[in-house]
Amino acid sequence: MAAYKYIGKDIPRVDGPVKATGKAVYTVDVKLPGMLYGKFLRSPHPHARILKIDTAKAEKFPGVHDVLTGQDLHDVRYAFVDTPRYPADEQPLAVDKVRYIGDEVAVVVADSEAIAEKALMLIEVEYEILPAVFTAEKAMEPDAPVIHDEQVKGKSFWEDWGVAQGKKGRATKYDDTPKVNNLSGRTFVSFGDVEQGFLKSDYIREDSFSLKATAHCQMEPHAAVASYDHVTQKLNVWLSTMGVFLKRYFLSKTLNIPPSKIRVHHTYVGGAFGGKIDLFPYEFCAAYLSIKLGRPVKIELDREEVFMTTRQRHPLTVNIKSGVKKNGKILAQDIKVIADNGGYRGSGPVVIFLCHGFSFPIYDVPNYRYEGFSIYTNNSIRGPQRGHGAPQIRFSIDSHIDLIARDLGLDPVQMMLKNVRHEGDVLPNGDRLDSCGLTEGLHGAANAIGWNTKRNQSKNGSKNERLKRGVGISLCAMFSGAMYYPFASAAIVKLHDDGSATLFTGAQDIGQGSYTTLSQVLAEELGVDLQDIHVVAGDTELCPIDLGSFLSATALVTGNAVKLAAADAKRQLLECALEILEVDSIEKLDTESKKIFLKKDPQKSITFSQAIQASVFKRNGDPIVGKGSYKGYPRTDRYPSLAKAKGLFTGAYGFAAQAAEVEIDTLTGEVRLVKAVTYHDCGYPLNKNIVEGQLHGCVSMGAGQTLSEEVFLENGQMFNPSFLSYRLPLSLDTPESVEGLVNTIEPSGPFGAKEVGEGAVAGILGAIANAVHDAIGVRIKELPITPEKILRALGKI
Amino acid sequence: MHLPDIVYLSPNKTTEALEVIEDCGNSCSVIAGGTDLMVALKQRLQTPKYLIGLENIPEFKKIEEKDESIRLGPMNTLDEISSSDLIKTKLPALSQAAREVGSPLLRSQATIGGNVCLNTRCRFYNQSQFWRSTREKCYKAGGSYCHVTKQKEKCNAAFVADLVPVLIAYGANIKLAGLAGEKMLSLKEFYTGDSCFPNQILNGDRVILTEIDIPIPKNNIRSVYKKFRFRRSIDFPLVGVAVSLDLDENNRCRDINILLTGVGSAPVEIKKAKKELLGQRWDDELVSSVASLASQEIRPLKTNLVSPRYTREIASLKIKEALQEAGGKNGKNY
Amino acid sequence: MERTIEFVLNGETKKVTVNDNQTLLEVLREKLDLTGTKKGCNQGECGACTVLLDGKPINSCLTLAVRIEGRSIMTIEGVAGKESLDPVQETFNEKGAIQCGFCTPGMVLTTKALLAENSNPTSAEIKEAISGNICRCSGYIKIIEAIQSLAEEQEVM
Repeated sequence: MAAYKYIGKDIPRVDGPVKATGKAVYTVDVKLPGMLYGKFLRSPHPHARILKIDTAKAEKFPGVHDVLTGQDLHDVRYAFVDTPRYPADEQPLAVDKVRYIGDEVAVVVADSEAIAEKALMLIEVEYEILPAVFTAEKAMEPDAPVIHDEQVKGKSFWEDWGVAQGKKGRATKYDDTPKVNNLSGRTFVSFGDVEQGFLKSDYIREDSFSLKATAHCQMEPHAAVASYDHVTQKLNVWLSTMGVFLKRYFLSKTLNIPPSKIRVHHTYVGGAFGGKIDLFPYEFCAAYLSIKLGRPVKIELDREEVFMTTRQRHPLTVNIKSGVKKNGKILAQDIKVIADNGGYRGSGPVVIFLCHGFSFPIYDVPNYRYEGFSIYTNNSIRGPQRGHGAPQIRFSIDSHIDLIARDLGLDPVQMMLKNVRHEGDVLPNGDRLDSCGLTEGLHGAANAIGWNTKRNQSKNGSKNERLKRGVGISLCAMFSGAMYYPFASAAIVKLHDDGSATLFTGAQDIGQGSYTTLSQVLAEELGVDLQDIHVVAGDTELCPIDLGSFLSATALVTGNAVKLAAADAKRQLLECALEILEVDSIEKLDTESKKIFLKKDPQKSITFSQAIQASVFKRNGDPIVGKGSYKGYPRTDRYPSLAKAKGLFTGAYGFAAQAAEVEIDTLTGEVRLVKAVTYHDCGYPLNKNIVEGQLHGCVSMGAGQTLSEEVFLENGQMFNPSFLSYRLPLSLDTPESVEGLVNTIEPSGPFGAKEVGEGAVAGILGAIANAVHDAIGVRIKELPITPEKILRALGKI
Repeated sequence: MHLPDIVYLSPNKTTEALEVIEDCGNSCSVIAGGTDLMVALKQRLQTPKYLIGLENIPEFKKIEEKDESIRLGPMNTLDEISSSDLIKTKLPALSQAAREVGSPLLRSQATIGGNVCLNTRCRFYNQSQFWRSTREKCYKAGGSYCHVTKQKEKCNAAFVADLVPVLIAYGANIKLAGLAGEKMLSLKEFYTGDSCFPNQILNGDRVILTEIDIPIPKNNIRSVYKKFRFRRSIDFPLVGVAVSLDLDENNRCRDINILLTGVGSAPVEIKKAKKELLGQRWDDELVSSVASLASQEIRPLKTNLVSPRYTREIASLKIKEALQEAGGKNGKNY
Repeated sequence: MERTIEFVLNGETKKVTVNDNQTLLEVLREKLDLTGTKKGCNQGECGACTVLLDGKPINSCLTLAVRIEGRSIMTIEGVAGKESLDPVQETFNEKGAIQCGFCTPGMVLTTKALLAENSNPTSAEIKEAISGNICRCSGYIKIIEAIQSLAEEQEVM
């Protein structure tokens, strides 16, 4: 393995000190002179027609500057998914109908939040209450209330950008779309011959699983500040977001002003986890009101609003039927997924696509059929959340595999080993696995959890009657970027007179540590020390485009762009040095610590500073600026079809094998995660400390979703919109944690790196569920595995 | 969510406070640590014009031993209660119960007086003003409907204070001061059993809790508090069990108090089971059967988290554990 | 009602005009522009707004500003020296205990209070001490490790 100076080292975060001292500025901290504050009036009904809104009293309330309703903005439409097949269905303020509790009805902007809150109470809305529906299954029924009466087709955002979508597909089975009500999206894909596969199987099993909606719980509430300058006609915004260019694009389209007239400024982001990608009404309204009023406008959501009205993870039901040979080899698999995306489409069609995307890279199933539905209901809107479909589908598949292994008397690890994919495999859609550490990960995780000694403890007669322990294992996969707006990342490296460098990247550090890892890439490639790097990031004006910190794209896609930019700057430096060092080829030179030296005779060297001076004085005045760019997926020029799951998905899959040891109190039903093991194949880890931090966060979130987290909904109303009642893990729930590295090198990744931030949220669910089965012999197929479900399954209540 | 407009008053003497309360009538609330009330204010569960803070009344901070009892001022924080050496030694179950309330951050502000006067809670009631606007006003919010039972009978919000069952088990008395004078009553009598107005102060008596007196238990009396909650911080108890047990030299139950929190409109005293235990020889079989019997005396309600059956099962378990622990060192069988 | 209160803020006496219905959190963030103290939930359930009141960690969102008259408050802005970070901040950074950073100010202050009271806490005591401070990024592991290593350092000293 190459000896690196910065790559792979446990370097502390470059943004650590500014965060530790409270000096890091988040969007909620932005305060501008003359700033006004907005607050929303929201629908108390899950489904109703708006008959009349009277804002007169609110408008007259002292300190109120404006009140907007849907009538003021009626033709504005946008959505996370906006394609010809799935036209945008969201509006910043409800025009005709409200479709979930919390839907935005009006916004008041005033001198202070407190005044805006008071004025909201003075708005009178007359509703005609409509029948509502709260589960996907019921919403699909023929006589269910129709939530979106019409789909308004416009020119979609994605089309508008001009990225090729591919020719009109041949007639496929897709066109046999079943007639169901409230359908917001469908994914259908099959390969091989599923029926034949089942016929050839020795054993067939079918299971159903379900998972509840969960919440992201970013510690920083959603917020936006907008400030429009009428002189320059420039809109300045500060947003708590994961992708500044995507947000700029959304704002440009909805406000109908050119992207260049919008600047998204950098702020630190207090957690995102997928929940800060979509355009939100508060962002649009802050911008719209600032333009209208000529004053800065801030809208910050309350914690309750964050829970109820931003995004949640999709509740899903998964039905899986598998046919296997006696030895555990899977011959055929038929998977059906139904996702409830709430009152608007959100990322419904994406999550059902991704459930396939995170199903098929793991096991090599020759005959496979997958069908996913996303369905409108009158619940809160669902969007991307860390793993986006992976936790749901991986939990279901690996619970199912564990059950089959038990039925056949096989060791689940052995059965998984028999079916997993390997390096060099080409997936049915054409994606190549140039690196794949599933086998090594499985061995590592099984070993670290003590698979052979700890399994079947309860059967072998454990000493403790009350507390039972068990172990379980599961696998997961995640993309490393994909083709999604803006389809590529670029980076610029600017050198200073003293030889130090500033990195300009559009990527946003949302806590995952990208400023640090990207600095390491730059330091290594350029030959400067880390303290000589300054990062300018997350600003649409100063930085080149970036995919954004989602789809786990930053390490691979932005990392490559930074590496190329650094290489470009280095090449220019070396060219300047040729003359001074009297060599004929830059191949004979190298750099380290801001010095250029002869490979053969390292004593012979000049400083970066000298080379830059030479460039300025003796050459063309170029102070040396390096640039680099990298596509979301270089092998393709189109985004994959969500409906048919055709096209290439991602340049590299991150994989993980995760194992869990649980202890169950058989008298209370409480399940304690004792130990969590993650063997993650993230390619070559750029920074082990940061990699571990990502895995810890994934495990904690995944464990929360397995054991305690659940959005309690009754008739569309969330009963636990607070940290008191939404039970995310606390410090006391922290398990022993083991992270093992699977040493693969991803050839397309910068220094061999790929995804690490999301995949490992997904394997821990199945690992825990399988461990519970191992411990007490019962299978819980509906998450979360609450104490009550355990006691019921044990027949104790 | 912002606080409503209020005028804050912080009298230096009890009498001063009482005069202010008299003047303000129903438009004032008394604030102790504020960990519960501040949220209630933000959610507009209460909208008083005046807030009367008690932090400047010096005697409200006392922790002292006098005449075989411990006397506590209501403004001692739970952190102060749990870390007091005197309380650790003389009233260990109280120390422990205080240590298990909420989170450490809450305990450095929440007070024992606030815990004694804690309002009942309900998943339909302890929500924001917007949240509650989605449905009919419930009893506790001034309406005449209970969303929990879907009936018009009565409010069913739950009493969830941790310290109260322990204090009652210890036989605590409290001092209430009004303009007419002071009265001492057993803590038990302070609670009304009405979820809407769960104690005399919330029921409208213009009095202030000025002191909590706890008789120091005799050597042979053992008290314990067993709390159950899913997360061991922040959460309120699903159920909490306090037991004080007096076993005689023959290992027979001379006296016992079993009190539960979290499962009723007030602290619940287990009475039938007590009868079964009095005079009985203390052994494991007895404890198990009584625990199961005791859990039949409560009527827990369904929540988002649990069914009544689950809560009863846990109550039974925690009662058993509390009895076992209380009987532990004295009981010859343990 | 408006009034002027006087208290000690990060070691210096401070006079500030506050409204009776303002929380300490609001006064710190909005009046004094000390935005290092964060508003995570505004209901005392997350600990992002932790400050030290006479050395004890409290939720500043549950504290009326008028009630801190005459008392001493430390916010995250008062933790570091002019030239260098406080050892708690230094160690949090070195041990990877910081991710998005939004819980960090509160965590740092809670940790300072813990170590002031108990220079050598056990792992269980650490977990208990920070159990009112929610972190969604880290699964708490590196935070606990960082505090543990601070305890060990103190022991050596």
